[in-house]
Amino acid sequence: MDLFGQYVVNGLMLGTVYALVAVGFTLFFGVLDVIKFSHGDVLMVGAFTGFTAASGAAALGFSHPLAQLAATVVFALAGTAALGAAIARWLILPLKSAPRLNILLATLMLGTALRESVRLFYPDGSNPKAFPALLPTSSWQWGQFTLRADSSILVVTGVLVIVGLHLLINRTRLGLAIRAVAQDEETARTMGINYTLIVLVTFALGSSIAAVAGVMNGLYYNEINFGMGLLLGLIGFSAAIIGGLGNLYGAILGGFLFAALQMIGAVAMPFASAYKDVFAFAVVIALMAWKPTGLIPERASDRV
Amino acid sequence: MDAAIEISGLHAAYDKADVLIDVSLTVAPGTITCLLGSNGAGKTTLIRAILGLTPPRAGSVKVFGAEVTGEATHRVIARGVACIPEGRRMFPKLTVAENLRLGAYQEPSEAEIKRRLAEVYDTFPRLAERRNQLAGTMSGGEQAMVSIGRGLMGKPRLLIVDEPSLGLSPLYVKENFRIIEGIRARGITVFLVEQNVHQTLAIADAGYVLSGGRVVAGGTAAELKSNAEFHAAYFG
Ligand SMILES: Nc1ncnc2c1ncn2[C@@H]1O[C@H](COP(=O)(O)OP(=O)(O)OP(=O)(O)O)[C@@H](O)[C@H]1O
Ligand SMILES: [Mg+2]
Repeated sequence: MDLFGQYVVNGLMLGTVYALVAVGFTLFFGVLDVIKFSHGDVLMVGAFTGFTAASGAAALGFSHPLAQLAATVVFALAGTAALGAAIARWLILPLKSAPRLNILLATLMLGTALRESVRLFYPDGSNPKAFPALLPTSSWQWGQFTLRADSSILVVTGVLVIVGLHLLINRTRLGLAIRAVAQDEETARTMGINYTLIVLVTFALGSSIAAVAGVMNGLYYNEINFGMGLLLGLIGFSAAIIGGLGNLYGAILGGFLFAALQMIGAVAMPFASAYKDVFAFAVVIALMAWKPTGLIPERASDRV
Repeated sequence: MDAAIEISGLHAAYDKADVLIDVSLTVAPGTITCLLGSNGAGKTTLIRAILGLTPPRAGSVKVFGAEVTGEATHRVIARGVACIPEGRRMFPKLTVAENLRLGAYQEPSEAEIKRRLAEVYDTFPRLAERRNQLAGTMSGGEQAMVSIGRGLMGKPRLLIVDEPSLGLSPLYVKENFRIIEGIRARGITVFLVEQNVHQTLAIADAGYVLSGGRVVAGGTAAELKSNAEFHAAYFG
């Protein structure tokens, strides 16, 4: 039971992270019909920006973890928002009328460039960095089950971000404009929507949500490295696909489903837990063969 | 008073084919000015050029005296322009109310948007009943209402309408023309693209005929009705 409880908490944590990455893929696909392959590496840049900000705050004498956490979050979000908007403005929009595969390739190469830049130019960038533990480390005990405060805070934060995104998309004028652009770009422009601005804002939004995932990941494992975006990006993309690309709720479901598969692979299968990713990806491939358009097919009002 | 639309020497093309050749025309404020022409004449392309959706190759477009050639679409709209596009172009997966709200996208005041919504629901009671229905599931006639209502939500000074009667039953067509007359009565200039010659000329103040991408006739509605060139261009 105790071990099971830990797996559930771990699964929820990972599911939240994957969902946060997956919604980015879905947002970008929604407004521009493109797959932005550099998404995972933007997440990694967010985690490194946050790490740098925390170290910087500490060096400047802000010793309180909350001050460092605030610096981490502000810089990670702002940095990735700017990076995401810049990628949209100077890479993706100019390629908009090129074949979709070209955009996929261009963003794949950009991701590699980002990864290599951090590895080569960040001080000692090829080695993992110890991400500081900025959250309270207290814990609660029920029998043999321990619930750590930091894990709980991370899961709750992630869920709040997802709920906030849902409200933004469905209840605000910006969200209405994003949905309009996703359904019909030209008519959206005819309504007086500044199309380019909405695209840039959407990319900024999706990228900073990925930074949240990157920082969460760092805080949870107390470690980040230049390659962390590769697997997280791939998992987020898979989650978006199995949920039905373009569907926000499908992406969230896909994220939690992938985490659940990893947990099942680690606990309930007759092979070593190191194979959990192989197991999860195998099931995803089977799911894709079974439901090629995703578990939640694109339907009424739910394109983004 | 500045013309609502003043186009001079306009050329437009898609990848290869020239679609508009040296088009010049004027839409006087407060009028219904129509643009007649058969399929493929370039009428929709002309509207796209005005709105900046298909930037023209040469020539100039002025809206209420301001040069808008090459301007982004949302800036043209901000000058008091609204468009009811060809084929109505609902956002099919948004509700009727959301579609209408998008018509007033540039209006910052929520109170004003609510006031305009009430006005549209007043004109089209059917839309009020169905405000939470997805627009894509509305009937063709109902979608026409949404599209007109959405155009009015922007409280435009100039409304550009592209073939509003396309695909509607004669009863709806008649109703549509009545509504367009009512829009002019509210002081809104209407630039109306139509193929329905007789009913259009019956309500229009002035008009032009487009054929093969060129303006081949123009004048008051009365002049057009008796213009031999117009008959030649239009009825072959
Ligand atoms: N996106 C496009 N790419 C290439 N050619 C186009 C495009 N849109 C329109 N055309 C061509 O431009 C010409 C004019 O088209 P346009 O839609 O302006 O005609 P129209 O007068 O509005 O016709 P209709 O009454 O049938 O709506 C046509 O020959 C059409 O095939
Ligand atoms: Mg047309």
